[in-house]
Amino acid sequence: MLSASHKAESSEYSPLAIESVSKHFGGITAVDDVSLSVDVGEVVGVIGPNGSGKSTLFSLAAGGQKPDAGKIRLQGIDVTGWPTWKIARTGISRTFQIPSLFLNMSVRDNLLAAAVEGDWKRARERMESTLEMLEISHVVDNLASELSGGQQKLVEFGRVCVRDPKVILLDEVTAGVHPNIRQIILDAIQRLRKTGITFLVIEHDMEMVKEICDRLVVMDQGKVVAEGDFETIANDSNVQQAYLGRT
Amino acid sequence: MASKPVLTPKLIVRTLLIGAIVIALAVLPTFIDSYTLRIATGALMWAGLACAWNIVGGYAGYISFGHSAFFGIGAYTTAILMQSDFGASFFVTLLPAIILSIAVAVAIGGPTMRLRGAYFAIATWAFAEMLMQLVTVLDFTGGTAGLSLPAYLNEFFFYYLMLFAATASFVGVWLLIERSRFGFRIKALRDDEPAAESLGIRTNLVKVQSFALSAAITALFGSIYAYWTTYIDPYSVMGPEITDQMVVMVLLGGLGTVWGPALGGVLLWITNRYIWSTFGDTVIYLPILGVIIALVVLFLPNGLISLFMGRRRGRELISRILGKL
Amino acid sequence: MDLFLQTLVNGILIGGILICLTIGFQLTFGVLHVIDFAVGGWTMLGGYTAYWLVTLAGIDPFISIFLVFALFLLIGRGLGPLIYHVRTSRYARPDLMALAFTFGIFLFMRGGALWLWSYNSRSVDSVLSGQFLSLGPITIPLMRLSAFLMALLFSLGLFILLYRSRFGMAVRALAQNHDHAGLMGVDVKRVSAWVYGIYTALTASAGVLIATIYSVNPSVGVRYTLFAFFVAVLAGLGSVGGVLVAGLALGLLEAYVATYIGARYSLLIVFGTLYLTLLVAPKGVLGRGI
Repeated sequence: MLSASHKAESSEYSPLAIESVSKHFGGITAVDDVSLSVDVGEVVGVIGPNGSGKSTLFSLAAGGQKPDAGKIRLQGIDVTGWPTWKIARTGISRTFQIPSLFLNMSVRDNLLAAAVEGDWKRARERMESTLEMLEISHVVDNLASELSGGQQKLVEFGRVCVRDPKVILLDEVTAGVHPNIRQIILDAIQRLRKTGITFLVIEHDMEMVKEICDRLVVMDQGKVVAEGDFETIANDSNVQQAYLGRT
Repeated sequence: MASKPVLTPKLIVRTLLIGAIVIALAVLPTFIDSYTLRIATGALMWAGLACAWNIVGGYAGYISFGHSAFFGIGAYTTAILMQSDFGASFFVTLLPAIILSIAVAVAIGGPTMRLRGAYFAIATWAFAEMLMQLVTVLDFTGGTAGLSLPAYLNEFFFYYLMLFAATASFVGVWLLIERSRFGFRIKALRDDEPAAESLGIRTNLVKVQSFALSAAITALFGSIYAYWTTYIDPYSVMGPEITDQMVVMVLLGGLGTVWGPALGGVLLWITNRYIWSTFGDTVIYLPILGVIIALVVLFLPNGLISLFMGRRRGRELISRILGKL
Repeated sequence: MDLFLQTLVNGILIGGILICLTIGFQLTFGVLHVIDFAVGGWTMLGGYTAYWLVTLAGIDPFISIFLVFALFLLIGRGLGPLIYHVRTSRYARPDLMALAFTFGIFLFMRGGALWLWSYNSRSVDSVLSGQFLSLGPITIPLMRLSAFLMALLFSLGLFILLYRSRFGMAVRALAQNHDHAGLMGVDVKRVSAWVYGIYTALTASAGVLIATIYSVNPSVGVRYTLFAFFVAVLAGLGSVGGVLVAGLALGLLEAYVATYIGARYSLLIVFGTLYLTLLVAPKGVLGRGI
C-alpha cells in the first residue's frame, strides 16, 4: 500500500522520476520505455528475473549509463545525460551488485571519502553515527580488503548513508549476507526513510521485499510488467509468467 | 581531515623524526667534501622526482612512462630563457617552466588518461619520445647540440635549492594527499573509479589535477638541474633514462607510499654513483637497473618500504594497490 | 613519379619485415596477455648474433637466420615460463607487473649490449650486399628484396603453423578464450612457453634481416620497440591478421617521410602518430584490438 503518511510537504516534485527511458546495447534492448516515479520516504522494490534490466535501470538513474531515450528527473531537475558525478551531487547514491569498496583504504577512510563532496565539516560525525547504526565500529581501522563479504556490504551501505542523499538505490544489498547483517540493514532503511530518504531496492529476497517495500515494480525483458503492493503482484499472472513462463 | 588532527604520540614522534632529518640534511654540507655534496644534491633531486612520479603512478594509479617530457620542459625553458637573447636570471625562469609544464599536462592529461593500464604507459612513452624528437629537430632548442647555460659554480647553492625543492615536494604531497580531501579523491579514483564517481567525485578533474601537479614538480627539478649542470641536450634531459629511473625508484621504494619514493630514490642514486666511481662509467648501470626491476617484480613487488612497515597490513596494502593498477 | 614509385617499393619491402617483426608480438599479447617491452631488444640481439656469426664464422646472414631462429626459439622457450609466472602471479592486475618485468629485461639487454659492444654500429654483410635489380626506373637492392621474401617466408610459416596444425589450433583457442581453452585440455603453461619462444625466434630473425639492411647498434632496440608497438596498436593489439596491413602502412609511412620530409623527422612522426592513434583509436583502426 502506498505510504501516504510519508508524503513530503516540501516539494511537489518527486525525488526521482524516470520518464519513458530506454537503453540499447548493440542489438539488445536492456531497458524498454520504462517509467517510474517515487514519493519521498517510499521504499520501492524493483524485482524481476535475471537479465530483466533492473541493474541497467539503476545505472541510468544514477548516471553510470546515459539513456537513449526518455528523461531522468531528480527533485524535478532534468539530469538526463549529465555526468555521473554531477547526478550524484544532485542527491542520489547507489550501491553496486559487486561490492566496489576502496580496498586499499580503511573502513574509516571509505566512509569519510563519501563525504568529500558533501558536508565535509560534519563528515566525522556522520561517519561515527553510521558506524554505530550499522554496528561496525569495531572494524573502523581495518582495511576494506580485510573484511568479510557481509561486512563489506555493510560498509558499502554505510558509505551511501554517510553521503545523506535524497534517493538511495540499493542493488541486491542483502544478497548472501548473514541474517543478522540483513536485519541491521533493514532497520537502517526503516530509520532513514523516516527522515525523508527515498529508497529503490533491487531484490531477489522476497521475505525482505514483503517486509520493507511499500510497493513493487516488476520488470521483465526491459519492460515494467506489473506495479503494486506485494499481494497484488503475487497474484498477477504477468508476473508469474515472467518468473516461471520461461523454460 | 574532517577535524583537527589529533595529537597522538605517533604523530609527534613522526614530526620530530622528520624535523630531525631535515635539520641533519640542512647542516650536512658542512661535514662533507664537494664530491659527496654533489652526490647528495643528486640524491635529493631524484628523491623529489620519485615523489612527483608517485603522485600519478602510486596515488592515482596511472603508470606513466613519459615523465621525462616534463623534466625536459623544465630544463629547456630555463635554458632557453637564460640564453643571451633573453638573459633572464635563474629564478625568473622557474615560473614560466612550471606554467608551461602544467599547460602541457592539462592539454594532454584529459585525453590520455582516458586510457588505462598498459595503453596509458605506451601512450605516455610515445608522447615523451615524440617531444624529445621534436626538440632534436628544432633550432631554438639547439637541436642535437643542446644548450649551454651561464655557469654558476656554487655547490652549496644547488644543494640547498634541491633540499628546499625536495622538502617542499614531500611536505606538499603529504599535506595534499595524506591530510586533505584531495587525497581521498585521488585514492578513491585509483581504487574504484565508478564508485568514486557515484560519490560525486569528479574523477576526470582529479586525474588532470594530479597529472598537472606531478608535471609541475618534475619540471621544477628539471629547471634546477639545467642550471646545475650548465649544459643540456635532448637525450640527457628528455631521454628515457630519466623516466626509467623514476619508475624503478618508486617501484623499489614502495608504490603509493609517502616515503617509498625517497627511499628508492636515494638508494638507487647512490648505487648509480657507486658504480660510476668503481667502473668509471655508468653504462653497466643500465643492465643492473634492468635486473633490479626484474627482481623487484619477482620478489618484492611491494617495495622496500614494506619491509619497514613490518605489519602484514602494510604489505597487503601495497600489493593491493599494485593489484588495482 | 619515379621517386614516388621507388619510395612505394622501398616502403613495401620494409613493411614486409615489420610484419615479421610484429606477428610474434601480437601472438604473445593474444596468448600470454603480455605487452613485451623488450621486443626491440630481441630484434637487436638477433642482429648482433648475425653479426658475430658472419664476422667470426663467415656464415652469410641469409643462412645464419635459420640458426638464429633455432637459437632464440630455445631461449624464448626457456624464458617463457618465467614470463608466464609473472603474468599469472598473485597481484590482481599482473599485466602491468609483466610490463615492468619486460621493461626490466629490455633495459638489461640495451645496457648489456652497450656495455659489451659499445654504441658503434656494426654492419652485417652478405653475398647479396651491393647488388641491385633494375625494373625500369626502380632500383631494388637484392638484399632488401631477399629480406622481404625471407620475412614473408617466416610469416607464412607462422600462418601455416597457426591454421594447419594441432599446436596452432591450441594457440588460437588460447588466444580466443583463455579460461576455457585450459578446461578443454590445452596445456596452457606449455603452449604459452612455446608461443613465447616462437615470438622471440621470429623477432630475432626479423632483427637479422634488419641488421643486413641497416646495421645494428644498441639503440636499435628502442626504434623497433616503437615500430612493433606502432604496428600492433594500429592493427589492434592481439590481432595477427591486422598486422599485414599495419606493417605495410608503417613501412610506407617511414619510406615516404624519409624521402619527402627528411630522415631526421621520421621518429618524430612515427612516435607522434602512435600517440595520436592511441588517443583516437586505441583498439586499432579496425577496432579489432583486445
